Amino acid sequence: MTSTLENNAVARRKMTLRLPSKATRRRYLLFVLLVSPAFVLRLATAVYPIVQTILYSFRNYSLLKGTNEFVGLENYANLANNYGVRGALSFTIIYVVASTILGLIVGLLIAQLLNANFKGRTFARTINLIPWAIPTIVAGYAFRWLLDDQFGLIPYWFTELTGQRMVVFIDPTYARLTVILVHVWKDAPFMAVVFLAGMQGIPLDLYEAARVDGANAWQRFWHITMPLVAPLVITMGLFRLVWSLASFDLVFGLTSGGPGVATSVLALQIFREGILFFKFGFASAISGVLLLLVAVIGLVGLRLYRRFDVTY
Amino acid sequence: MAAVKTYYQERLRISAIWNSAGIYIAFIVFSVVVLLPIYWMLRSAFAVQADLTQTPLVYLPSPTLHNFEMLIDQVPFVEYTRNSIVFSVGTTVTTLIVSYLAAYAFARLRIRGSGILLWVFLLTMALPDVGTIVPLYRILSRFNLLDTITGLTIVLSSTLTPFTVWVLVAFIKQVPYEIEEAAIIDGASLPTILWRILLPLTAPGLVTMGVINFINAWNNLLYPLSFSVTPASKTLSVSITEVFAGFSPWGRPWELIMAVGVTMVIPITLLILVSQRAIVRGLTGGAVK
Repeated sequence: MTSTLENNAVARRKMTLRLPSKATRRRYLLFVLLVSPAFVLRLATAVYPIVQTILYSFRNYSLLKGTNEFVGLENYANLANNYGVRGALSFTIIYVVASTILGLIVGLLIAQLLNANFKGRTFARTINLIPWAIPTIVAGYAFRWLLDDQFGLIPYWFTELTGQRMVVFIDPTYARLTVILVHVWKDAPFMAVVFLAGMQGIPLDLYEAARVDGANAWQRFWHITMPLVAPLVITMGLFRLVWSLASFDLVFGLTSGGPGVATSVLALQIFREGILFFKFGFASAISGVLLLLVAVIGLVGLRLYRRFDVTY
Repeated sequence: MAAVKTYYQERLRISAIWNSAGIYIAFIVFSVVVLLPIYWMLRSAFAVQADLTQTPLVYLPSPTLHNFEMLIDQVPFVEYTRNSIVFSVGTTVTTLIVSYLAAYAFARLRIRGSGILLWVFLLTMALPDVGTIVPLYRILSRFNLLDTITGLTIVLSSTLTPFTVWVLVAFIKQVPYEIEEAAIIDGASLPTILWRILLPLTAPGLVTMGVINFINAWNNLLYPLSFSVTPASKTLSVSITEVFAGFSPWGRPWELIMAVGVTMVIPITLLILVSQRAIVRGLTGGAVK
């Protein structure tokens, strides 16, 4: 088998040493034809704009002021002095890291539940898709209303139980915590779906063998399930980190970045400076910082992934 | 010996009871946490404002469609809804066509470097979409596509294409090549192979990605919020932010905000009820071997 393959390869190389055969050329042509719509789309609306963004970030490009000159690193220097951006940068990092880690943990717990055998499992699996499927902006407003200090359900219950008022969105710490927890509410079910699929792929006899050896539920989870879903956890974590960095829907709906700029994120600042104030150069510099963060996550992620890559 | 065995069985039985009690408690907590905001939305969307702004809270206000009538009356609600539908269907179809063609090439026409090319293509998923809106704003305006559904559709289709290609490549690879081979020998052309032979066999994958892309487009806020200026292209996701921004003397019009929210959530909920399996297959199609 191998030798025939090798012979074929040798034969093919001999042939292609001159001119590619008609069939090969046809295959190349077809490939280009089929792939080009997708590549043209990506080049025109993702790669080219990102390059443009990087270039803009070195210019004082502003639609309202009418300026567009090369200014070197001035925009980046201004970022450091900008109160909104500095606040957004620190909260962005806290927010994406905390909500991703919490999301992974809660996602694993939900997956454990959805993998268990009980009446109502189908129901649980179906409603699990709701937080993932509903628009983030709607979820943001729904929780803002649910947590309203006057007529929201949760502050109302809190007052009934403790006799104290619960005001979530005035205090920076509580507001930040709320954004992180609502993000977990929205995101963990999606992770659970992926983890559940991973868990269903683990051979059951592994658990049987462990049970016979006297391993308890926690030991079975930690020593069998975890190592085998670890690559999935890492992959999901990376995906969600990058995705969370780029999105501002939740913050836009839930807190509008407030109080002050306590819950603002870089993505929201890009939108505000770029689209609302038309400060294209300055907004692009924020995008530059965002790209840098994505690159860092990518590099860290690749290292992690190599360490945890297992096959089963 | 017998006594030991019964003792052991008894312990197993008790631990099984504890186990299932734990599972049901977890199940109830999970359901309440997931459904509480949904209940709150429904309860507020179908109530009059007076029922929402009083304590003790009214848990089940008498249902009314008053808020939806108000929306149709005061904002171009019908247009927004129509825009959302056109935008979502257009994006879904465009993404599927473009991705299906590319996925076929990556799965079947192995050429030198195609593996790396696919990898690079998928890597563009990591480019943050919010970082592209400023140049895209200029590009769209240069081509007169600012504030048009067409412009929004092109941009979002591009964003959704890499993931769709990824999942569809996996689906196409599962189809045995012999079927196409037989057709090629019989002299079938490429369009015939793609349309008549492979399409029915990859239909589950296409339905799956269709549903997921529809949901993504329906929910998308970034692009309409950035590139839509008038009701000609604004979608429901933009309209909810506008209703929120509209203060009334009595504070936020929460009954109206939630009514827009419910309008957005109901079609999505129906979709996941009928295609739960398809969605799960798609979400896990790329990540799980």
